[in-house]
Amino acid sequence: MTVRGMLLVARLEFRTRLRTGRWKVLFGVWFLVVLVVSLLLRGAVTTEDPSEDGVEMFGTLLFFVLLLMMLISPALTAQTINGDRERGTLAPLQTTRLTPLEIASGKLLAAWAVGLAVLGLTLPFVAWPVLEGDVDPLRGVVCVAVTALLIGSACAVSQALSALVARSVTSALLSYLTVFALMFGTLLLFVLTMPLVTAERHYGTGEDAYTQEVTDTRRTWWLLAPSPFVILADAAPALPRRQVCSVDDSRPDDCYYENDDADVLGWIGREVRQARVGPQNVRESYEEHEWREESAPAVWPYGLGAHLLLAGGSLAVTARRLRVPAARLPRGVRVA
Amino acid sequence: MEDEAGVYARGVTRAFGPVQALRGLDLTVPYGRVTALVGANGAGKTTLLLILATLLAPDAGEIRVAGHDLRTHPEAARSALGWMPDTFGAYDQLTVAEYLQFFADAYGLTPPEGAERTRELLVRVHLLELAHQPVHVLSRGQKQRLGLARALVHRPKVLLLDEPASGLDPRSRVELRDLLRSLAAEGVAVLISSHILSELEEIADRVVLVERGATAGEHEIATLMAEARGLWRVRALEEEPLASALDVRQMPYRRQETGGLDIGPLTEREAAVLLGELVGAGARIFSYAPVGGALESVYLAMTEDRT
Repeated sequence: MTVRGMLLVARLEFRTRLRTGRWKVLFGVWFLVVLVVSLLLRGAVTTEDPSEDGVEMFGTLLFFVLLLMMLISPALTAQTINGDRERGTLAPLQTTRLTPLEIASGKLLAAWAVGLAVLGLTLPFVAWPVLEGDVDPLRGVVCVAVTALLIGSACAVSQALSALVARSVTSALLSYLTVFALMFGTLLLFVLTMPLVTAERHYGTGEDAYTQEVTDTRRTWWLLAPSPFVILADAAPALPRRQVCSVDDSRPDDCYYENDDADVLGWIGREVRQARVGPQNVRESYEEHEWREESAPAVWPYGLGAHLLLAGGSLAVTARRLRVPAARLPRGVRVA
Repeated sequence: MEDEAGVYARGVTRAFGPVQALRGLDLTVPYGRVTALVGANGAGKTTLLLILATLLAPDAGEIRVAGHDLRTHPEAARSALGWMPDTFGAYDQLTVAEYLQFFADAYGLTPPEGAERTRELLVRVHLLELAHQPVHVLSRGQKQRLGLARALVHRPKVLLLDEPASGLDPRSRVELRDLLRSLAAEGVAVLISSHILSELEEIADRVVLVERGATAGEHEIATLMAEARGLWRVRALEEEPLASALDVRQMPYRRQETGGLDIGPLTEREAAVLLGELVGAGARIFSYAPVGGALESVYLAMTEDRT
């Protein structure tokens, strides 16, 4: 495995795919879509405090971009291996001195780079609320970086599927199923398992005794972790809490802190962390800091870690599948 | 002695599920010669070539390509062999020169070496004028030549060609033949599979007959041709003196509607002796040639024996 070999394959992929020129049209359409969505979001969002408009737009736009990127990414790699096999361009590559890992990582790199270029087109709109000062630059950078990594993992997974499955139509379908399972299957599973972790609890003694249903998600929170939406929302650095003071001038000290309603990302992040620590461990708070990190640890490292493991595993599977001489072939696969 | 051959294969077997594609095939491809692999569709020719090209693992058997054991050193074998598949997998968007340059890079040639080798090969396969055209504008014959140039980019000592002549026009075939002959003259071990038997006669020095996944015979083409008995078509200015000369010698013949008489079957030696006699008897012969290919008759005779 050399960087030279990897870049050689990546450059070949670029040249063979990008010269068709269709990408210019696609990029143009994508840019227009994001432009329109950004403008609509900006117009639709009306909060009491104009500085919150940017916060709400930022969160919604990023979710929108993430959703579309998750739909685009599988298409970038879903046919790279079996499609090349069908066209007869893979075998000549395998008989050169290029190693299977060089071929696999070069192809992945090229696809990921295209995904990043598409993501790059959305940067002006993501930067908009940041430049207006509504969103902290760190939050902008973290969110874009997390999205970039998630694009890479989606590309890697669907590339592995294209190496495992003989027909490119099937592998494309499976890629989309996988991405949907990660995006929505995780949430669905979490909700469906909630009755399993719900129990009646008895509180108090004697006449004050009462019974309440309590859902304790300490054993199921990890189901949420691999969802790209959860990862993005939880990884976004929290916004400072807003100080609200009583309008009654007679009591100037009566101020408290609350979370920013317009912050979609922050809200989801708090919810999943709460799911992790369970029902009793987080209380409503009016302090400047709602809780300390150690009392409600982050969920996103698990999710992102899972995605990186998945991506690494997928790359290894792809490289393994490209190894020749092949002893066994998947059904319906012709070497050349 | 074994390692003096470009390809040395003994007892190669390979099954695809329940289908036994190769059942103990033996093959030797010496350096400096063109060996033809001949067999019916499904006889296992392509499977064998895929195994030799290090793409497919055999179930059993001993194979050395350019002296490298395929089981233990496939990478070393890969650097020494060039493989041209029966289908040309095109990267449509690349130009002809870029295509070759890429494979030069992939085989580890330095960029200047690769550029020089690319130019050299384009001249050799007559594609220099098309160097900057995209691959997809090439005709089938031109693509075939580009595929051959690709297989040669790293100066392999062993060249494996799967049906290189299929779909080529006569001019391209002649050029392919000349190219392969010149490579053999340079010491390359060439293995070529084909159905087109009459053509192999001109290209190949040796022929290996493959039948149902096993070797059915290895022959020198020259010997085959000398020993084979075939029909000969004789044309003379006047047919009657020729026909009576044949009658005298009790040589069976058949008149052809297109003119000329088919005589035989005769070996080359017998035919030559007969020609002298006929001319001596006053037949004014202007054409005397074997009908069809000798290889074809041998192949048909051999496969007939076995069924």
